[in-house]
Amino acid sequence: MRAAVALWERLWNTGKSMVVGHGITIREMFHKPVTVRYPEEKPPFERGSRSVPVLKVNEESGLLNCVSCGLCERSCPPSCIEIVQAIGADGHRKPWPETFQLDLSHCMVCNLCVEACPFDALEMADVVELSSYQVQDLIFNKEQLAELWKTSRALRVAGGECIDMGDDTVAAGVVRS
Amino acid sequence: MTADQRTAGTSGATLAAADAVDRGDDPARAMAEDAAEHHLMTINMGPQHPSTHGVLRLIVTLDGEAIVKVVPDIGFLHRNFEKIVESWSFAGIVPFSDRNDYLGAITNEVAVCLAVERMAEIEVPPRAIHLRVLFSELQRIISHILFYGTFGLDLGAFSPFMYAFRDREMGYALMEKATGARMLYGYNRLGGLRNDLPDSWFRELERFLDYMERQAWPEYMALLIENQIYRERTIGVGRLTPEEAIAWGASGPILRATGVAWDLRRAAPYLSYDQFEFDVPTGKNGDTYDSAMVRMLEIKESIRIIRQVLRILPDGPVLGRVRPNIRPRPGDYYSRVESPRGEVGVHLTTDGGSWPYRLKWRAPSFCHLQLIPLMARGAKVADLIAAVGSTDVIMGEVDR
Repeated sequence: MRAAVALWERLWNTGKSMVVGHGITIREMFHKPVTVRYPEEKPPFERGSRSVPVLKVNEESGLLNCVSCGLCERSCPPSCIEIVQAIGADGHRKPWPETFQLDLSHCMVCNLCVEACPFDALEMADVVELSSYQVQDLIFNKEQLAELWKTSRALRVAGGECIDMGDDTVAAGVVRS
Repeated sequence: MTADQRTAGTSGATLAAADAVDRGDDPARAMAEDAAEHHLMTINMGPQHPSTHGVLRLIVTLDGEAIVKVVPDIGFLHRNFEKIVESWSFAGIVPFSDRNDYLGAITNEVAVCLAVERMAEIEVPPRAIHLRVLFSELQRIISHILFYGTFGLDLGAFSPFMYAFRDREMGYALMEKATGARMLYGYNRLGGLRNDLPDSWFRELERFLDYMERQAWPEYMALLIENQIYRERTIGVGRLTPEEAIAWGASGPILRATGVAWDLRRAAPYLSYDQFEFDVPTGKNGDTYDSAMVRMLEIKESIRIIRQVLRILPDGPVLGRVRPNIRPRPGDYYSRVESPRGEVGVHLTTDGGSWPYRLKWRAPSFCHLQLIPLMARGAKVADLIAAVGSTDVIMGEVDR
């Protein structure tokens, strides 16, 4: 096939495609850049973006919603949640967790624990800057998870629900015709 | 010594390399020793080479710049997927399967869901079936955009890569809005989908499709596919015959580039693909140009399918009623879907327990990777890069 195309035609096409290609790239110079200067500038997360399951705090009482039922622990595919139920001074089991540990180095952010929770105790937060040099730092206890819930935007999406996304922002500034 | 004699001389190197692998040694050493006898050179391409798409190592024996022998060395990204899921619940396999082909995550999830839903006789609502088609096609568009960018990058064209990433990010923003994650969605559930979508999302999707069709697609064609330098680099490079492609288990755009109109969406319709009109684009020569062209045309066909889905999308729930602990029926179940790269197959064997007895993942990239020595025969080093790029291998899927 290469030999069949005459040399002059190939040369002409090469020149033509260079002009066309440069035309496209030069036109791009007059548009607004689509890149963002991370970390100085941070693009907003979409509503419902999820990165880590966090423990929801009841705003009236200031206590965790978690009753330590263990359904999330059982539904977690990589078994990264570990719950120990509290035992009171009277020797009876209490409806709150003594420890609630989440191993973020194992978590695959699948949302299955949030869907399993019948007590509205877990939500998905949108914090992503959690990297660490020590893998132990990625094991979060219940105080840290509650703190993450307070400081980040969290959302609970149960199975089959319609998710409210707010205003439409996707691709709004990019489409031009 | 002619090139043929040299090739014949190094056929012993293949055996030596295979023996070395059996012993657990590095095959490159055996190949290098053999090549030195014939005054050839053995070099490693990868696993850190930027143009090898992940952690693929190619051991290449060279005669000057001509390729005598290529041996792909795989396994750098092995994560033990098939063994791990043998102790996982069926619901947990679905988000984990995203990690196999991480650029075609939705199609992986659909493959697992189809197999498990057939096994446990789970009903899926019609809206969820249509939305699965919609997301599979959106995923195909995004994956082919990335292919366009990286294939250009492999051939030395940097600008198309930036254009591809600009548009890909729009697609991923849509995905993030709908599913909550950019790449590894975890969106499918046994019996449907995780969440429903509001009207505003569908309006944005239509805007994205309009943009892709009217502006981005012609730009892609003008910038790279119609470029004469690109054509010289790809036409006739990495040719495969239809017989070879079928014999080596190729599927997807690689097979269709050779002229075989085999598309599972048409040949063995799953979900609701039999309700939609679309063409199966094919090539003629089976070279890298054709396989890239097939992918470009598939972007258009995917846009066509999504438009049809949006027209007939019914209302209703997206998640059927599923028992928390599904009761598996013992037996073998196989489901296959057309991923952006080819045929993804899930062979699920259960013995009635809560976990799969065995799950075999059929990855299209694994078959395509074995075609690289075939595509690179008699070629130069630069053509080998074109061949690797055109197969669009995802190492996460090859090594699993």
